[in-house]
Amino acid sequence: MPTVMAGPRTALAMRGLSKTYAGHLALDSLFLRIRAGEIHALLGGNGSGKSTTIKILAGVVTADPGGELVVGEGEPVGLHDWTPAKAQAAGLRFVHQQPAVFPELSIAENLALGAEFPRGLGGRVDWRALNARTAELLERYEIHASPKTPLAALRAADRCRVAIVRALQDRDDADSGVLILDEPTAALPAAEVEHLLEALRGYAAAGQTILYVSHRLDEVLSVADRVTVLRDGRKVDTVEAEGLTEADLIEMIVGRPLDRVFPAAPLDSTDDAALTIRGLRGGPLRGVDLTLRKGEVLGIAGLLGSGRSELLRMLFGAYPVEGGSVTLDGAEYAPGSPQAAMKAGVAYVPEDRQAEALLSGESIRHNLTAGQESSYFRKFLYRHRLERNDAQRSIGDFLIRVVSDTNPVETLSGGNQQKVVMARWLRRRPKVLLLDEPTQGVDVGARAEIYQLIRRATEQGTSVILVVSEPEELAHASDRVAVLRGGRITTVVERPIDAHKLTELMNIPQVAVGEGSS
Amino acid sequence: MTTRSKPRPETATGELPAQRAIDDPVVAQPDVPVVVAPGDAASRSVAASAGLLGTRILRQYSLVFLLVASFVLYSTWNKTSSVFLTGDSLRVMVAGQAVIGVLTLGILVTMVAGNFDLSVGNIAGLSQIMTATLYAKHGWGMWAGIVAGIAIGGFVGGINGLLVTILRVDPFIITLGTASAILGFIDWYTKDQSIVTGIPAGITHFGRNNFFGVPDIVWVLAIVAVVIYYLLEHTPYGRNLHAIGSNRAAARLVGIRVERSIAMAFVINGIFAGIAGVLMLARAGAGNPQIPPTLALTALAGAFLGAASFKVGRLNVPGTIVALLFLAVNITGLQYAGVANWINEMFTGLSLIFAIALAAVLSKERSVKKTRKSA
Repeated sequence: MPTVMAGPRTALAMRGLSKTYAGHLALDSLFLRIRAGEIHALLGGNGSGKSTTIKILAGVVTADPGGELVVGEGEPVGLHDWTPAKAQAAGLRFVHQQPAVFPELSIAENLALGAEFPRGLGGRVDWRALNARTAELLERYEIHASPKTPLAALRAADRCRVAIVRALQDRDDADSGVLILDEPTAALPAAEVEHLLEALRGYAAAGQTILYVSHRLDEVLSVADRVTVLRDGRKVDTVEAEGLTEADLIEMIVGRPLDRVFPAAPLDSTDDAALTIRGLRGGPLRGVDLTLRKGEVLGIAGLLGSGRSELLRMLFGAYPVEGGSVTLDGAEYAPGSPQAAMKAGVAYVPEDRQAEALLSGESIRHNLTAGQESSYFRKFLYRHRLERNDAQRSIGDFLIRVVSDTNPVETLSGGNQQKVVMARWLRRRPKVLLLDEPTQGVDVGARAEIYQLIRRATEQGTSVILVVSEPEELAHASDRVAVLRGGRITTVVERPIDAHKLTELMNIPQVAVGEGSS
Repeated sequence: MTTRSKPRPETATGELPAQRAIDDPVVAQPDVPVVVAPGDAASRSVAASAGLLGTRILRQYSLVFLLVASFVLYSTWNKTSSVFLTGDSLRVMVAGQAVIGVLTLGILVTMVAGNFDLSVGNIAGLSQIMTATLYAKHGWGMWAGIVAGIAIGGFVGGINGLLVTILRVDPFIITLGTASAILGFIDWYTKDQSIVTGIPAGITHFGRNNFFGVPDIVWVLAIVAVVIYYLLEHTPYGRNLHAIGSNRAAARLVGIRVERSIAMAFVINGIFAGIAGVLMLARAGAGNPQIPPTLALTALAGAFLGAASFKVGRLNVPGTIVALLFLAVNITGLQYAGVANWINEMFTGLSLIFAIALAAVLSKERSVKKTRKSA
């Protein structure tokens, strides 16, 4: 028998699972065993290897040779030639963070698109059979809706449950196969989370094995039977969830005891403030207090969905503000549009370069000028020579490597594209520069240069708010780091900034910080 | 994000490789041999572009070559050579393109910003019949009628622009709707009657006269070409339209007033459709309630075909002019060769399909290059 250990039946076991990316070991001989019928949580910080594990299981990333996988009572199979088809055949079912559901279509159609439309005479869709089957599935999984309801009409948690049902619909018995949920609650409003977790507990009670990947510790503790924590590609431990506290988990995730006594965010003196934010609300933000000092790089640490991007967009007039006040250089600042923000001297580099910053198809020169064209238009003539000279100066100043500034911008490497976007804003000498993941998809060399550019800008008097999801990078690039969690700034860390501490602070439940800091 | 993380020493001291790299870009990480070689990427692209230069020239000027080739063909082919290469024939050929040319150049303004306008042909038709009516039934003066015709075009363009930007519906659908509504209005307003009397002589003469051997209305086309070229390539507004067409979200985030610019583009487009309408009236000498149904499509074909030359993949005025001449030479040549009148629409339609297919291939090539780069 391939059962790895004695004791409860094993639904899924991995042995010696390794993955090397460009010489770097992302996963180091991981051993993981999931018991049948349990909810097993997989936890870890950024770069811990949990996503890699899931991708290998799904067959979309190839593991290093040597790893083995056992599903249920099956024979061990090598993981180096695992494919999505094999994963499907073995009964592994995945529901990803943003499940591919179709809001305009009915529940029945959404389910049929995951399997097959039942066919009637002449190949027509047999709606009656489809609706009957869907009704049966909805009843089995306790979703109270009609098969004909459009998905958009369901509450968020139920949409997610439909995605789960779609993944499981061809499995008749609940106790074979494994349901793998990759951060299913990341896109859910807080009120919906408990509704989903309740459903998951029900499925597990019926015998369904679930591997649950999340970074929300409170959820993990409320739903999981056992927890495996990864750090730096290695397994820290697998423990029973019963009796664990969030502090225990944080300690496992960051690798050292949790220091609970953090200083409260000081509302520092405002005489050297470039930007003073008080009680800013809107979207996920529930009252942000923050002061950006002149000439500093203020990092924002927060998990995905913490509102860090929304904060920057609000300050640029590109996201609705519900309340609070902002002052810029002592004057009230409430930009209603990007134009107003720019006029006040605020600049913004969005997270998604391709979708929101680059004018692809347009030349490098035009990309540099974007938004400033009118400054070259004098006496009814467009001063192309002036524009060219400025473009060439910017290319030199901002270390952009180009053949010619008339080439389309998409012919540049990612790093040089990003430098073009940075140069677009920095050449205006903004008072405040808002940067959202400025080094995403940028190689190491260009990354260093981008930080060099940011430093130089601060020396010239620009104040920078920097959002970077990697704690280590953030710690090194920032003068101070504000931690955004639960829609508020929970604390501000001064230099020396320790990346591990940032990870702790980002993951720490809000209540604990509130108690510690008040 | 997982793949980006670097191996790090377990000690939590401040001095990490990443920090050194930040302070000094030339210091490579010890375990990841990264050499920052300035000009490395540059030299690679130079080599690549040298190899591409030949094909690029071929591609840029392919339509010009085709135009010259077809011109030579019809000038020497024994079926057409006797009539094709005569001053009158060339004048008629070019004058016949003036109306569609003004429409095409006008439609460029909306297309550059990523919008379609399928109503331009009918806007031109409306201006034409309304101007004729103002002359014949209301006794308007020549210039007042011209201004009114152009203003009507701008007005309808403004309606298009407001509908597109306020309702945020695909302009394709909106303008298809307004196109049909205009036809209905013309039918009701004119009771399907042509207006053959009462058109000022000044207008009809203008439609037939030459200036320095070139028909007057072709001069208008030339001026329109210069104006549109200036607008699109040499004004901040034109550059903003290009930016919107390239990436709407990015355009918004660099402070361009996207909605206002697009609405304005529809107004400008309508104004030029109005000018085309007045030219229609001048050429025909009568107001005709029957609007040729393929005008807008022909304008689209010209614009797309034009994007396949000069600045490849970018809608541009010189390319559009070449495309218009190419269509005119071939349609006229084939008609002289004795092919029946259906060749007109057939050739235009096939050219449109060809141009769009070409644009699809070019953009695919580009995106393949992009993915290779990012890989």
